[in-house]
Amino acid sequence: MQNAAEIVVQRLTKDYGRFRAVDDINFEVARGSVVGFLGPNGAGKTTTIRMLTCYMPPSSGQARVAGFDVFSQSLQVRQNIGYLPENTPLYPEMRVEEYLDYRGKLRGLNRTARKQRIAEVADRCWLTDRLRWLVGKLSKGYRQRLGIADALLHNPPVLVLDEPTVGLDPSQIREARKLIAELAGRHTVLLSTHILSEVELVCQRVIIIGRGKILAQGTPDELKQQCARAGAAGSRLLVEVRGPSDQVLSAIKALPGVEKVQVLADGPVQSLAVVGRLDAQLREQIAALVVQRGWALREMRIGGATLEEFFVQITDPGTSQAAA
Amino acid sequence: MSRIMAVAGRELKSLFYSPVAYIVLVLYLLFVGLLFSMLVFIPGELANPQPMFAWNHLILIFIVPFITMSLLAEEYRSGRIEVLRTSPIAEMEIILGKFLGAMGFYCVVIASSLVFVLTLVAFGRPDFHPIFTSYLGLLLMGSMMVAIGVFFSALSEHQILAAMSTCVTLVALGILVGFVRQLVPTSWFAATQIRHVLGYMAIESHMANFARGVVDTQNIVYFLTGTCLFLFLTYVVLESRRWR
Repeated sequence: MQNAAEIVVQRLTKDYGRFRAVDDINFEVARGSVVGFLGPNGAGKTTTIRMLTCYMPPSSGQARVAGFDVFSQSLQVRQNIGYLPENTPLYPEMRVEEYLDYRGKLRGLNRTARKQRIAEVADRCWLTDRLRWLVGKLSKGYRQRLGIADALLHNPPVLVLDEPTVGLDPSQIREARKLIAELAGRHTVLLSTHILSEVELVCQRVIIIGRGKILAQGTPDELKQQCARAGAAGSRLLVEVRGPSDQVLSAIKALPGVEKVQVLADGPVQSLAVVGRLDAQLREQIAALVVQRGWALREMRIGGATLEEFFVQITDPGTSQAAA
Repeated sequence: MSRIMAVAGRELKSLFYSPVAYIVLVLYLLFVGLLFSMLVFIPGELANPQPMFAWNHLILIFIVPFITMSLLAEEYRSGRIEVLRTSPIAEMEIILGKFLGAMGFYCVVIASSLVFVLTLVAFGRPDFHPIFTSYLGLLLMGSMMVAIGVFFSALSEHQILAAMSTCVTLVALGILVGFVRQLVPTSWFAATQIRHVLGYMAIESHMANFARGVVDTQNIVYFLTGTCLFLFLTYVVLESRRWR
């Protein structure tokens, strides 16, 4: 167990004055996996990442990255980590190649290793045609690629990417995700984000953090199940009916066990979300009702719990019981 | 060591990419040229460049802050400090790299004044010994000035603030201390001792010997301890900023 975990965080805490940004968190990241670090803005994601990358020391608790302690073996940790900070700060006056060469020198790579690695990461991050460009002239997408190329340059076992897809256009986001998915296996990746679909696409595990605490962790499927269980009473029945809209709405509302009916799409065909006690009886009642009135039932299904619903539910300060 | 040189090399290149470097060079040449044409290049007089070097610090006081202002302040402002400090490089290596990069540019600046030395050689036969010691003095004085600049650059996120505080400190050490020393009344308790201490603090008193051709260990110690002190203070500032 100890061997398989590349990042081990134990009782990690960070205080900014009286404000506790990260509160006694524990988690592990297995070697070679891609783990999503999810949370709303201001939840403590970046603070945690900054402690893991040795940018700032923890107030208490400890963390080990690639077997080294972030506080007492900071240089070794930094040698074994590739880090893409939020917003990708770069030197605008340097050329792409020049920047990567400089970064290689800082990581202690010799001349031949630098040349070889720069060619490799440039190829991998689709940067080859931009090597002679000034960094300041690159588009946001290319800057992000350069940041990832820099993180990969010394081939570190651990990669920490802080919101790598922010500010990219949809096709660039798809490329970035493809790249991150490719990195799994060879590298251990901790990916911070607040975009849920990203986590579902590329991560094997998810850690959800909110207000400095870990609220949930597991595989995306596990979290969805957990969500479905926790919110069984709140799940929805999606019904599509052709018929006069006001009558359909009032008739379904009148059925026993129905708490609320949301209209998702109106028109000759109504798409409704029914919230309430969704047992089989209700579904049969709705079907019978539709047939009895001579309307047409086009679709009826139980809406699957999405990760997004779970996320909103557990990170919303109003529903603190979900944290348990 | 190679990491220090990587930071220094990048910094030096970066200085040449910015227009500030060229403005600084031009201004330096302009003012040293004024000193040269008014005090040194006089037909019929001895070819003695001493005044040009003895007053050089008055120009450099206003030049060095512009060389050093962006060193660390800009890293903090842009967020690149995060990239730098999460790289496997020690704090002191960052500081020394920045310091040496700025020193490299400083050397280019003072070397540009060789134009005037060459002019002097073309028209007369100056003594090379004091010229050599003058450049040694300028180098040592510059290292202290640059260290002060690095220190103030680490304190702030704003380049202008860094430049101004460096400038104020250099003016205090280079000009004001000398005046204050004159103002200490002889009636004061230990007036001569106070004057002596103030005189030792002043940059000009240490530069004057080098310009005359005298290499005194006292002057060398002054500039080197000043350099080490401010580089160490920079380290303290950088360390303390980590905990905030």
